[in-house]
Amino acid sequence: MILAKKDLDQALKILSQDAVVFAPLITLIEDKSQIDQPAFEKKFMPYHEGAAVGLDNFNTVKPPKDVLFPNVEKLYKYKTGEGAYIEEIVPEDKPKILFGIRPCDMRSIDSMDKVFFTKEYVDSYYAKRRELVTIVAMGCMDTQRTCFCDSMGLDPTYAPTADVMMNVTKSTRTKACPVTGCTIPEDDGSYILEALTEKGKALLDKISSLCTENGAEEAVRDVSCSLKIEKDPELDKKLSKMFEHPIWDKITKGCIGCGTCTFVCPTCYCFDIDNENYGAEGCKYRCWDSCMFSDYTRMAGGANPRPTKKERLRNRYMHKLSYFNERYGETLCVGCGRCIENCPAHLDISEFIEKASKVDAEAKEYSEADFAEKEVR
Amino acid sequence: MAVDHECSCNKNPLLPSLCKVIDVKQETPDVQTYTIQTLDGKKPFSPLPGQLAMVSLLGVGEAMFSITAQGEDYIQSSIKRTGLLTEAFHEIQPGQEIGVRGPYGNHFPIEDLKGKDILFIGGGIGIAPVRSMIRYAFEHRDEFGHLDILYGARSKSDICFKEDVLEQWPKEKDTNVYVTTDVPSDDWDGHVGFVPSYIEEVGFKPEGKKVVLCGPPIMIKLSSESLLKMGFQKEDVVTTLELRMKCGIGKCGRCNIGSKFVCLDGPVFTLAELDELPDEK
Repeated sequence: MILAKKDLDQALKILSQDAVVFAPLITLIEDKSQIDQPAFEKKFMPYHEGAAVGLDNFNTVKPPKDVLFPNVEKLYKYKTGEGAYIEEIVPEDKPKILFGIRPCDMRSIDSMDKVFFTKEYVDSYYAKRRELVTIVAMGCMDTQRTCFCDSMGLDPTYAPTADVMMNVTKSTRTKACPVTGCTIPEDDGSYILEALTEKGKALLDKISSLCTENGAEEAVRDVSCSLKIEKDPELDKKLSKMFEHPIWDKITKGCIGCGTCTFVCPTCYCFDIDNENYGAEGCKYRCWDSCMFSDYTRMAGGANPRPTKKERLRNRYMHKLSYFNERYGETLCVGCGRCIENCPAHLDISEFIEKASKVDAEAKEYSEADFAEKEVR
Repeated sequence: MAVDHECSCNKNPLLPSLCKVIDVKQETPDVQTYTIQTLDGKKPFSPLPGQLAMVSLLGVGEAMFSITAQGEDYIQSSIKRTGLLTEAFHEIQPGQEIGVRGPYGNHFPIEDLKGKDILFIGGGIGIAPVRSMIRYAFEHRDEFGHLDILYGARSKSDICFKEDVLEQWPKEKDTNVYVTTDVPSDDWDGHVGFVPSYIEEVGFKPEGKKVVLCGPPIMIKLSSESLLKMGFQKEDVVTTLELRMKCGIGKCGRCNIGSKFVCLDGPVFTLAELDELPDEK
């Protein structure tokens, strides 16, 4: 189906009637304490009339994972002492639509589904939210300097597991770029929508009155990532033999253990469980945790199997690129580039993937000189 | 999606059921054993030897403990005072309500152990999980061969389950019990020395024998080395591990060793299985 860009707001308004529609909204950053220029941010928020929907250009800094897996989620209430009880807190059952997530983020949700739905136990909190969410994925039109999803085996313009796939239509006209003056395609102002599941079909039915049937339109599919890396297709198996490799000492040097990479990562799902008390009553909640923190694995009595940032970062990279493959059959890095963009110490997982792909797995010493100088990203 | 597990709370695996502690027993100066029942006086669930329970003191915290024993209408966990939660546990009185969920993890390989002689080795509080298997073997005595139990504690007062270790178990049929303490004391006339060297001193024969081993990490490591030196095979030595855990169902991430989760794929591993995993124990 074809939806004209000018009708997007109308479509979102219709969809908002019986679901909360999370879309990438552009908002002015209110806190001006650090910046004197107006600054904008883009994040997934409930759509409301008049909101600026930013489907183009860069992806959101924060992935949309919190719609399915909130950063803080209450699990149950309890009371101690007289009249003690434990009472489950069930997530609200309002249907949600995740509108305009990129293929990298869709693929991340597939990984989270594997974690929370398989291996003996189903996580009922995640399951409840997941079942109520319909996902409209948006193919990328261009990519950021840190995007490398196609090197990780993804297609930046297609998300096969979404409920609806949405792409901009290919333009036949061109115009001059207002900045550089060179010839660029002129936006013809339409989206092409395709339902991939029953849920997706039901969603499209709601907005069909705004749409027209497909004609000769073609989706923009010739997009490729800015960052190209040479990844060993068998890197997961190679890494499983590199636990003691000297590369770990080298790459973990800059890490300051802040945990930013895990919080902006669309596939990081680790959580902590803790409680908050109000007198004799209280609630148990879970919240995002980070394997980059020393507390994460520290046991009562002080023993810690991952005492330094070397063990912690090694576990993170190994989990993404090897352990997860072994357990669930796919890699846990989708190449979204968020951790590269946001790391205050400029650690770069793509650089690691490339170096690890090239090094001798048996090497006892590691030297940067083995690699040609790389362009600073 | 189909769920295939033995969880007592078949809907929400993170939700504990409210239970109560009906008895608190002081085992050593820093270990207490708690006898746990549901509020209506039943057994919370029926674990297999070596399985774990997530036990919580509401408002304080929740942690994974091995289930050291079970009866018709109770389960027991022995808890050493080590941190915030265990300190609080040591303050409770019988009647205290607690949250319990489980059982979690795999269990000792009962079928593999059947028909064999078994050497049980425990160090300190590490005897707690081993005890669940020892009790199973005594309850099904005809299904197992000769039993040896070797237990080491810091001193006599630190010996856990004193009635079992010093009185009851030595009386059991076809069973030898060896007890050692790290340091000598006036009231102790038994063996003095560390577990690994005592294993070698007794000189257990590996033929037809399986080993069930648990204790502090360093003791597991050195005891394994002793056993291998004496000719035991890695496939025949079973140990049980402990790491920090939060969810107990292989989701929250922290108790992994390589691609395995101790809460779900463990806690019981053979030395041969551990060899396949990264050295992060």
